Amino acid sequence: METAEHLPTSKRLAPYPLVFMRFRPAWAYIDGIREFGRFFCQTTFGTPELAERACVVIQETLENAVKYSSNSPDSELELSIESDGSNIEFSVSSLPDAAHLNSLREELTGIQTLDPEQAYLAAFIRAANEPEASARLGLARIRYEGGVELSMKEESGGRIRITATGKL
Amino acid sequence: MSQFSAVQVPKTETVAIQLTAPNQVKLSGTITQKEPANDLAGFFKALHTAALADQLTEVRADVSGLTFVNSSAIRLFVDWATWLKNERGARYTLRFVTSRNVTWQKTAFMALMSLTKEVLAVEHVT
Repeated sequence: METAEHLPTSKRLAPYPLVFMRFRPAWAYIDGIREFGRFFCQTTFGTPELAERACVVIQETLENAVKYSSNSPDSELELSIESDGSNIEFSVSSLPDAAHLNSLREELTGIQTLDPEQAYLAAFIRAANEPEASARLGLARIRYEGGVELSMKEESGGRIRITATGKL
Repeated sequence: MSQFSAVQVPKTETVAIQLTAPNQVKLSGTITQKEPANDLAGFFKALHTAALADQLTEVRADVSGLTFVNSSAIRLFVDWATWLKNERGARYTLRFVTSRNVTWQKTAFMALMSLTKEVLAVEHVT
């Protein structure tokens, strides 16, 4: 973990992230990073509710990033957490395989046409109606349970950055 | 012995599973593995099939001690409720015993309830 002033973040809430981590896209790391996020938010902001929201955001964004990372040596993930005292921002940068990028764009666009609760319900209905398909509950869950809005930015070298921003 | 009580409980690393009564299953811990269906989908399906065979009127799934799950695990509860909803013959009520203190349970079972309310009940223990 380190603070870094040269992170490829286009817009910062504060001059430096509170947390910056870079790691190989391995499923085995997710539990530990999620629980660190819980501890960090609980300790820094003192609100168990925010700590729970952080867990959902970190778990689901990292799961997506790990599942769909390319096999390139440049596919390390970056997680940062920033705050300006009123808002909190979780940001995950990854190098996805090309096939995933289109479906991610579509999924994000689709859920953002509905309010978070409606989008979560719609994802449940889709899951129930498509029992053989993958769950695809994660992004809608991040918005609703995590209390954040999601955005995606395509960066140089094929990397993408998913940013989740919400109130503290 | 009821078929429900005879269902083989899977061994998983992060979640403890117990059949605590002829119509009750209790799960506690966390479910965050990549493919939780590998361990749990067949188990839930076996419980569902056994409950129908035993002609149970209610199955209690106590998830109050399940402190965190990923969305792939939530999907398994959606599937269970959907099997039951789509059942043509006599069916049971699937009662999820939940905790108000666990965020994912509040949001997930609210959503699931709106989808399958004719076969589902949600009870809060804390």
